[in-house]
Amino acid sequence: MEKVNFRIKVLSRHLNQETSTPKFTLESFPCLSYKPPELSEPSAVFDIKEMRKLVDGHNLEDREWLFGLMLQSNLFNPMERGGKVFVSPDHSQSKEQQREITMRRIEYLLEHGVFKKWFTGEGPENELRKLAFSDCIGVFDHSLGIKLGVHLTLWGGAIQFFGTKRHHDKWLKATEEYVVKGCFAMTELGHGSNVRGIETVTTYDSSTGEFVINTPCESAQKYWIGGAANHATHTVVFSQLIIEGKNQGVHAFICQIRDENGDICPNIRIADCGHKIGLNGVDNGRIWFDNVRVPRENLLNSVADVSPDGKYLTAIKDPDQRFAAFLAPLTSGRVTIAVSAIYSAKVGLATAIRYSLTRRAFSVTPNGPEILLLDYPSHQRRLLPLLAKTYAMSFAVNYLKKIYVNRTPEMNKVIHVVSSAFKAIASWHNMRTLQECREACGGQGLKTENRVGPLKGEFDVQSTFEGDNNVLMQQVSKALFGEYVAAKRSKKPIKGLGLEHMNASCPIVPSQLTSHTMRQAQFQNDIFCLRERDLLERFAAEVALCQAQGKSREYAFTLNYQLAEDLGRAYSDRAVLHTFLEAEASVTSAPLKNVLDLVRSMYTLVTLEEDAAFLRYGYLSTDNAAMVRKEVANLCGELRPHALSLVSSFGLPDAFLGPIAFNWVEANAWSSEQN
Amino acid sequence: MAQTLYNNGRTDQVLVEETGSVRTFILNRPKKLNALSLQMISQLTELFYANEEDSNVKMIILKGHGRAFCAGGDVSPIFHNARQGNWKFGANFLQKEYTLNYVMATYSKPQVSILNGIVMGGGAGASIHGRFRVATEKSVFAMPETAMGYFPDVGASYFLSRLPGFVGEYAGLTGSRLDGADMLASGLATHFVSSDKLPLLEQALVKVDTSDPDAISAIISHFSHIPKLKEESHYHRMKIINRCFSRRTIEEIIFTLESEASDKKDNWISSTIQLLKKASPTSLKISLRLIREGRLQGVGSCLVRESRIAYHMLRGEFTKDCFEGFGAILIDKDRNPKVCYIHLNMDNTELRFREPLPFIYSSFTYFQWEPSSLELISDDDVDRYFSKIDDEDWEDLKLPPRSNLPPYAIAKL
Repeated sequence: MEKVNFRIKVLSRHLNQETSTPKFTLESFPCLSYKPPELSEPSAVFDIKEMRKLVDGHNLEDREWLFGLMLQSNLFNPMERGGKVFVSPDHSQSKEQQREITMRRIEYLLEHGVFKKWFTGEGPENELRKLAFSDCIGVFDHSLGIKLGVHLTLWGGAIQFFGTKRHHDKWLKATEEYVVKGCFAMTELGHGSNVRGIETVTTYDSSTGEFVINTPCESAQKYWIGGAANHATHTVVFSQLIIEGKNQGVHAFICQIRDENGDICPNIRIADCGHKIGLNGVDNGRIWFDNVRVPRENLLNSVADVSPDGKYLTAIKDPDQRFAAFLAPLTSGRVTIAVSAIYSAKVGLATAIRYSLTRRAFSVTPNGPEILLLDYPSHQRRLLPLLAKTYAMSFAVNYLKKIYVNRTPEMNKVIHVVSSAFKAIASWHNMRTLQECREACGGQGLKTENRVGPLKGEFDVQSTFEGDNNVLMQQVSKALFGEYVAAKRSKKPIKGLGLEHMNASCPIVPSQLTSHTMRQAQFQNDIFCLRERDLLERFAAEVALCQAQGKSREYAFTLNYQLAEDLGRAYSDRAVLHTFLEAEASVTSAPLKNVLDLVRSMYTLVTLEEDAAFLRYGYLSTDNAAMVRKEVANLCGELRPHALSLVSSFGLPDAFLGPIAFNWVEANAWSSEQN
Repeated sequence: MAQTLYNNGRTDQVLVEETGSVRTFILNRPKKLNALSLQMISQLTELFYANEEDSNVKMIILKGHGRAFCAGGDVSPIFHNARQGNWKFGANFLQKEYTLNYVMATYSKPQVSILNGIVMGGGAGASIHGRFRVATEKSVFAMPETAMGYFPDVGASYFLSRLPGFVGEYAGLTGSRLDGADMLASGLATHFVSSDKLPLLEQALVKVDTSDPDAISAIISHFSHIPKLKEESHYHRMKIINRCFSRRTIEEIIFTLESEASDKKDNWISSTIQLLKKASPTSLKISLRLIREGRLQGVGSCLVRESRIAYHMLRGEFTKDCFEGFGAILIDKDRNPKVCYIHLNMDNTELRFREPLPFIYSSFTYFQWEPSSLELISDDDVDRYFSKIDDEDWEDLKLPPRSNLPPYAIAKL
């Protein structure tokens, strides 16, 4: 009841339009008053709702419902600032408190039917709805998103993908109803991205029909297992499977780790991973298995099984392929990481850009009025290219979602490559964007309640979990190499991963760039394709050279890491551009097309400006590079009038941004302090 | 006491009293339960504008003459015209009404509304957006539009969605009646004052010489108390309301209510289900989406969205439910119904009025809605109501620029 009363107080104050009349008036200088950007900025030249539809892509109503669901509960920590209600997790709580409230938020979402049919529903529509929900949850709090992801995507996904009917029937409904709380024990102290090297060992005891799971040494302890430290009752354990003395590679087993009372099961030891630089709402733990026995049926046997008498049975003879099949659930993790990284960047940009449209500093004439931050070309250069990149990557992750929910077994490789590349570039982009946005907010960026600063800590983990970004990018280059070599060998045109452009003749970049040329989609596509093509050829040649010198292929890849990195980037940027062009092609409204044209040009040209590879390998002359730089500055000026409409089109409800994005004068007024 | 009573030279439908720095506007159409006519709306808008500029004026009081504060918009001419194909008459009417709602919501001086009687539909729009709302034991609040094939407009998607938990969905979808105590508990009212104390309150208020909301609040608080909630109050059922009305769709809301009902016999739940089943399915779907979107938006965009839906409904392109709903009630053969009912659900009481009412909600009328059931209405069908009107001669609602736009009034979408 107390909570209800508090809520009513907050809401009625909100409804009651608290206009704080100062008890003593400060002399009112024009520069001290807050003017909402909605009033001071030119009105949108395109339909913001249409743009939002394009950027969010799907399930708009579901999103609004979930945002509203969070907004209407005290569990989401509503606070009033400057006459508006904001929700955000309270990062000043201890890690134990953050874990507890995260779990209670999950229970609230569960009670309100958010996870209904999570596994028991089917088809792309069901999957898109789930993805929309995780987008919104991630906008509120990354911990909440991850805590759910561990249970639903990783634990639930493992059972769904590695398990067979007996596992599905037993576990999936219980999982979406949170009757069991699952976790995903893959990473070990000694092995992270290199899953095949894990040291946990499982043997089979045919006399009892049980598997015996063991942690043979300290480096084999399971590490960073989300949910393990406090809440999980069950886990999927990844382990080497030894049958009749032969190691059959990594397999997955279901193992109970806590009983109904929440007490740790016999022969299981669990310790906390401790306080982290962010994501403290997730209870990451460490697990040791002391010859834990689980029934034979607990092997997730979609790719391999063990007969009651202890024979290893598998349909996939090649251990490499068997291992690849295991990694399938990680793909869905990478999809959500890439998407949530972009939503986080949107929160940062919407906040910093709105602030820059209301905050002034210095004047350029004696006694002249102070200038809005975003009217400084330098400030535009800091934020607007990141805004354009965020748009580009929104289209990219929407494409990734689309191919993921419509996946077929034949598409596994493509999805693996695209999700690896986009996960890496989106999470890097987010970290860079947040840092720039935090700095662009000045001191206000330091304030926890303004959200931008804490997001850096909360999202930092994305660059290393579910595959280290650098490792993922190397895998992308290796996959491109594989395609290239295979096509060469078979003397067939190259097909797949968007590399078909390599079958055509090499594009020519004009030696004298003009503003007009640079804004043509044709040119933009050409120069991105040129870079990708050339780097792939160089990479293949260098690897071949190393191999000719007797080095192994893997070693050759390792030695040529510089080209591999450049190639990974080249592939990602070109793939992003293609998704942008595809999204643009679906638009019919002319004003929308026009602004997207500007945004796409900004995305391409700022990439040309920033990536030294264009100069290094001579795709751009130094003269042309100077032209590009000038054009970026021009584009900043042209995008400036659309800045507000572009961040409004992100569709983030006000309550999920920081107070600094709105009336920061009133939010900081003395009278607000008194309430 | 320098009190002047004047009628703005045109009509006596809104009376104005001037006392010191306070202006009291009295809705004066008691036989129609102060239903807002076009004249009243225009006059109120002018009054609000004029007094905003007048630096001598510090505060506005709005009240009703007779047993109602205001029972809604006077919609009979709107639907009379719309039935004959002239949808723009009603559209113009509503544009003016929504503009008034917006001016009130963004008003720079405190508005005190004294809600001593019926507050429904347009009456809520003329009061809830203001700074102070004083309820009494005679207050009866409802947004009963879904039962008439219409939807809660006048900015209701803004203020209903900001009530605690999911009371907004409950009130907006079922049209349930809330009394003064309920209104205070849910935040629709800011104060509760017994009606016998109102004269004293008004005497105290007209002496106010400040716009300071804290000072004005203190004066009202002096006369107010916390009333006891009735046994049947929705407030005692917050858990059920939150559990059921938070659901994603109308179908799920009804399903959850039904499973609650099967768990335990409760008249409140069954009458709530009845209300939903009697309401227009189209209205329910539109209203739910409106409230959900409104929760995340400013009052301005709420009004713009509502206006688009209203135009679509008046045009009767996709459904004629509101013609059915309002028509059956409003347009009697002689257009002067003798016996009228206001349907005050929840405890199934019906107040009987002798006078013809601007609109009547009958508890026993079942309308033929078209489409007739929820499953016949897809999300895409609902989408159409939210689209801009495709008519070259018709412009979207353009809200007036306001100098002192408060944060909550600004919307991004």
